[in-house]
Amino acid sequence: MKPVVFDEWRNKTIEEVLYECREMLEDASFPTVRRWREGGGLVVGHFQVAFPEEIVHAAGLLPVKVRGAQVEAVQADSRFGSYLCSIIKTSLELALSGRLELEMFVTHPICDAARNLAAVWGRNFDYPCQILYLPQNANSGYAAAYLRGEYDRLKRSVEAIADAEITDEALRRSIAVYNENRRLIRDLYAIKRELPWLVSADEAYALVAVGGLIPREEHNELLKAALPMISNRDARPQDRVRVVFEGGFCEQPPLDFIRAISRSCYVVDDDLLIGLRWIIEDVTEEGDPLMNLARAYLEKSSYSPVQHDLRKPKEKMLLFRLRASKAEAAIITAAKMCEPGLEEQVAYTRALDAEGIPYFVGEFEENMTSFDHMEIQLETFVENILFS
Amino acid sequence: MHKRYTAGIDSGSTYTKALILDSEFRIRGQALACTGFRLAETAGRLYEQALEQAGLRAEEVDYVVATGFGRHIVAFSDAHVTDLTASARGAIYLFPQTRTILDVGGQTMKASRLDEIGRVKSFRLNDKCAAGTGAFLEKTARYMGFSTEEIGPLVATSKEAVPISGVCAVFAESEVINHLSLGAAPADIMHGALCSLVGRSVQLMKRVHMEPEFTLIGGLLRFETMARVVRDSLKAEVNVPEGDMVQFTAALGAAILGHHRLRKLEAAERAAGRKESLYEPGHHRQNAGWKGA
Repeated sequence: MKPVVFDEWRNKTIEEVLYECREMLEDASFPTVRRWREGGGLVVGHFQVAFPEEIVHAAGLLPVKVRGAQVEAVQADSRFGSYLCSIIKTSLELALSGRLELEMFVTHPICDAARNLAAVWGRNFDYPCQILYLPQNANSGYAAAYLRGEYDRLKRSVEAIADAEITDEALRRSIAVYNENRRLIRDLYAIKRELPWLVSADEAYALVAVGGLIPREEHNELLKAALPMISNRDARPQDRVRVVFEGGFCEQPPLDFIRAISRSCYVVDDDLLIGLRWIIEDVTEEGDPLMNLARAYLEKSSYSPVQHDLRKPKEKMLLFRLRASKAEAAIITAAKMCEPGLEEQVAYTRALDAEGIPYFVGEFEENMTSFDHMEIQLETFVENILFS
Repeated sequence: MHKRYTAGIDSGSTYTKALILDSEFRIRGQALACTGFRLAETAGRLYEQALEQAGLRAEEVDYVVATGFGRHIVAFSDAHVTDLTASARGAIYLFPQTRTILDVGGQTMKASRLDEIGRVKSFRLNDKCAAGTGAFLEKTARYMGFSTEEIGPLVATSKEAVPISGVCAVFAESEVINHLSLGAAPADIMHGALCSLVGRSVQLMKRVHMEPEFTLIGGLLRFETMARVVRDSLKAEVNVPEGDMVQFTAALGAAILGHHRLRKLEAAERAAGRKESLYEPGHHRQNAGWKGA
């Protein structure tokens, strides 16, 4: 019997539910993972961005999204150079300091630093640490077959940890659970898009992000309870600029950073934790589940600076995201030292200039604690749009 | 055509101000009170008072702009702006040649330089603490047994300012006690505190590369001596809004921005080919694009 790892939110008002989600999210001791382990459960940590959690879920293990934390990289600082991003160091710090105990760790070749993370991580722990090689060429006719093979390799590794076979039937059940989760998150984003005054960006973020720390069945229950309460909130619309936020695909800005943005704008769409929303439609539940997951990754997916797909030029996808959400402006950010994020800013801003869409460029770090300067700059940007 | 009304709510760290403005930019109602600890409640209460003075109901006000320290928690506002922007719009309306603003409030001090249409080009704020703001003067007065409202009349009787070395509200106490024990007059000590504060203000103005005309606003400017000391220090004329408008400048600017926004929304709707009038009170809240789905 699987333990319930997050029940603090039950029988509470929406404000209390959101408070509990925020508390859980900012607790770097990972209470949900600890509770899962205390119940005898095993845990697979996976680094940003996209990961087929269904495979781990089907084995009865808890997949946990490793996305750094607001901790000081005391030990991890010695493993990485100062020129690298913070998330690499704080993620490893979570493991080195014993805050996050795992049975397996998986990373992806999304950038040089992330690719090296598996080897550095593996030198410190006895459990398997590996790279899931997502296809570098998403446009190849063999990409889906190749990715299915990678998923199969991952499946065998997970089976070895779980000491049990992952059947196709179990995979299909997991896909169904995740399909429901994706639908609920899409519903939440529809509220953000259509009625943004009902849920602020930081509130929506907390609701989504907590899903990376708990079993998806629990996350589905949470969302099913929270969404109607959000819809029934008595909130008054304000005359705010509708913006799309870009730059949160890997390292995450602090919640207070997102809250500061929410105080000035309606964030109607974003790429925050895009890995949890990577697949944008239901994954087919019939047929070969691994192939269905592989095809969904390639054919039914969002975009980010770390996936290269000629069908999805990032700047065009951003313009599409802006139009689909009726946004009037964009907030283009990147984590400090994030090469893919900073590189994409060039293409993004050129496309926005060409379309005459106003944008605000910023930078963040997960450990930043002062937001006043950014907030006053952003407010000035918004005032220019509203009143000039 | 229906007359349009906007409101500016300036939720300051010490005082909250509410002001109602009609389409001809005539002030129809205004109210002021200490902000206290319940910012939202105070803003709501003052808005009601201003509405009552204007003879209006809340539904008849087309647009509400909040500004000031507590701008984010004024739930009934349509938009909020920084006090820098609001003060700039207010100051340029009152004194169109304004290029530099000094705003000394209860807990903040701001200097900003404007362009010819009132946009903020450069600004500087005081540090995180309340050194060199109204709080410093209030504390100094209190150490000597005077209330805030007695500061103005007290300083007016000063013969010569006693030099006060700093603007820290905490350290001021020991300095004030020293001067009192040496026989200095409270009026001269208060005058010295004010001169010390002005010295700091002028430093802030220099950092934004001040240009004339200078306009002084904020709660501290209700003490006439303050403007005189600034003028002497700058060796230039300064503009000071009349009466209580020194405290209402940001609220006025916010209300003016409300009218600008209404015109912009109206133009956008006209461009979109809508036939309905935006002049219906509160109409934009139902029909304007920003309402969402």
